[in-house]
Amino acid sequence: MAIAELGGKQIEIDEDGFIQDPNAWDEEVAKSLAGTEGVAELTEDHWKVVNYLREYYLEFNMAPMIRKLCKTTGFKLKEIYDLFPSGPAKGACKVAGLPKPTGCV
Amino acid sequence: MAKTKLTDISKNSEKELLQISADDLPPLPSGCGGGEEITPLSEDNKKEWEHCLDGISALKLPRPQNKEEEDKLVRSFLEGVEKLLTKENNWTFLLPLMHTLESCGKCLACSDACPVYEMSGKQDIYRPTYRAEVLRRIVKNHTTRGKALFPGFSEGKIELNWATVARLAELSFRCTICRRCAQACVRGVDNALITHELRKVFSQQMGITAEVLHEKGTVQQLNVGASTGMNKMAFLDIIDFLEDEMEEKLGRRVKMPMDKEGADILLIHNSGEYLSWPLNPVAFAIIFELAGIDYTLSSELGGYEGTNYGLWYDDLQFARIVVQQIQVAHKLGVKKIVVGECGHAHKAMIVIADRLLTGETIIPRESCFPLLEEIVFSGKIKFDPGKNDFPVLLHDPCNVVRLMGIVEPQRRILRHIAPQFREMNPHGVDNYCCGGGSGFATMSPSKAFTDWKMAISGRKKVQQILEAFGDELGPGKKNFVCAPCSNCKGQFRDLIEYYDLEKKYGIYYDGLVELIVNAMVDIKEPYIEWGGM
Repeated sequence: MAIAELGGKQIEIDEDGFIQDPNAWDEEVAKSLAGTEGVAELTEDHWKVVNYLREYYLEFNMAPMIRKLCKTTGFKLKEIYDLFPSGPAKGACKVAGLPKPTGCV
Repeated sequence: MAKTKLTDISKNSEKELLQISADDLPPLPSGCGGGEEITPLSEDNKKEWEHCLDGISALKLPRPQNKEEEDKLVRSFLEGVEKLLTKENNWTFLLPLMHTLESCGKCLACSDACPVYEMSGKQDIYRPTYRAEVLRRIVKNHTTRGKALFPGFSEGKIELNWATVARLAELSFRCTICRRCAQACVRGVDNALITHELRKVFSQQMGITAEVLHEKGTVQQLNVGASTGMNKMAFLDIIDFLEDEMEEKLGRRVKMPMDKEGADILLIHNSGEYLSWPLNPVAFAIIFELAGIDYTLSSELGGYEGTNYGLWYDDLQFARIVVQQIQVAHKLGVKKIVVGECGHAHKAMIVIADRLLTGETIIPRESCFPLLEEIVFSGKIKFDPGKNDFPVLLHDPCNVVRLMGIVEPQRRILRHIAPQFREMNPHGVDNYCCGGGSGFATMSPSKAFTDWKMAISGRKKVQQILEAFGDELGPGKKNFVCAPCSNCKGQFRDLIEYYDLEKKYGIYYDGLVELIVNAMVDIKEPYIEWGGM
């Protein structure tokens, strides 16, 4: 497992760049993670997605279904891809500090 | 093409047997792809993980630090192989394993049948016979029971050292267990079973397997309820959301019945459907409701997850999951379980579970496809096939079609509701795997492995799809691949992205029930969303 410097902290990441300890996440970490995803600046729209993902994760201990993410944030799937080029699971969840999704998803 | 001998497997573990280059790979039609290089492991990963097979790592197998560690692992592997040969330890597959060890005539018909071998540019190490023959020689030369069973064995020996074991570990994750090789064998040899048995030795004996199949797969499923990590609370939240969401989309409320005791049927989907392809379980709910089927979903541990990754690597984990699923059905008092559009759940719960369940634990388990056919032709639902007037291509999930012989129900449905239905060549029991079988669709242990499953194990399917749609292909077109299996759908999504199939050729994918609902007269709005939502 590799260690990366994110938001000024040394944080363990997996081979796809997901942080391993969701508690290590903060807004500075999110900004660094966004950089690894080719997102230069986190706009209000990015934060809307990231904050909802965090909120859902803290309540249900998993990422929300993509459809619910779109519905709640008001973004179409295509718009989520515009915000996070790797998509909701590989991109947005990573920036939000969630574990990499598992199973047949 | 690299010529690799059988005995090369034991040589120098510092050196890779093979490095695949994009130039080795057969070209694809319609100007698709070209230059699919496999990203090498980083220098750090190379130091850390074994990669002496082909420079790729599926297992992130740590490299032993010294000879002692190596020898210990080799001894452990051999003990595991000994166990494969006894009925006490291999109650699941001893008989077909012995048949496969005894019966290969070395005709190599299975090599020509294997999409991984063909689409790798015919690399010897990927022949179905390569790993099988290595194991056969280990059994015959190195195990006590093997020496007794095959006393006159005089073929070449394989040296059993760490290089052999490390390469076999990775090699057991270069086969999708599609069993096209077994289909091609005139003697009924099943070289895909060899893949399975090797994975089993590594997992059950040595604790070596893919993290996403074990810790985050079966272990998570047994503890939390699903390999997706979906717990009961999240599942019920999703069902509530879907009922509301569909009321908005369809203008009618569709009930997804939950924990209904005494229903005729317990319907179990792959939990990934709810998260990534929720129109699929909703389509089942619409169809079953209109057809008056008495069924229920379950929110109990074991009741809302059809996957069983144990099937791919570990008989004990497999058994634990089956038991959990069956208990839910007994508790609800249903007459049978129906498995949704998930290929490996078909194999695990319906076919292989027969090796586990006895007496009162047995409960009928059936595929959704014959039931869907019965409903579509019952006259209870009105269809307008004109609503599906676009090219539809059917993909055959290996476990449903080749393994179980469920070939025609889904085809009769498509002929009835999709006027432009067409077949790939070959299809039915001779189909090709999507390339994501045996867990590959869910695995991304290294960029190298992800590249491999896109560039090689999924390549044949891409070739078939492009050929079958032919002149229909083009930007802005709508070509539909019907892939009635959660695992295949995940692989198709990734292949479409990797080869840019949607943008360049207008290729989309989804399941079968979505097409059925899309053709319903009573559902006014289009049901299929063509990649958008």
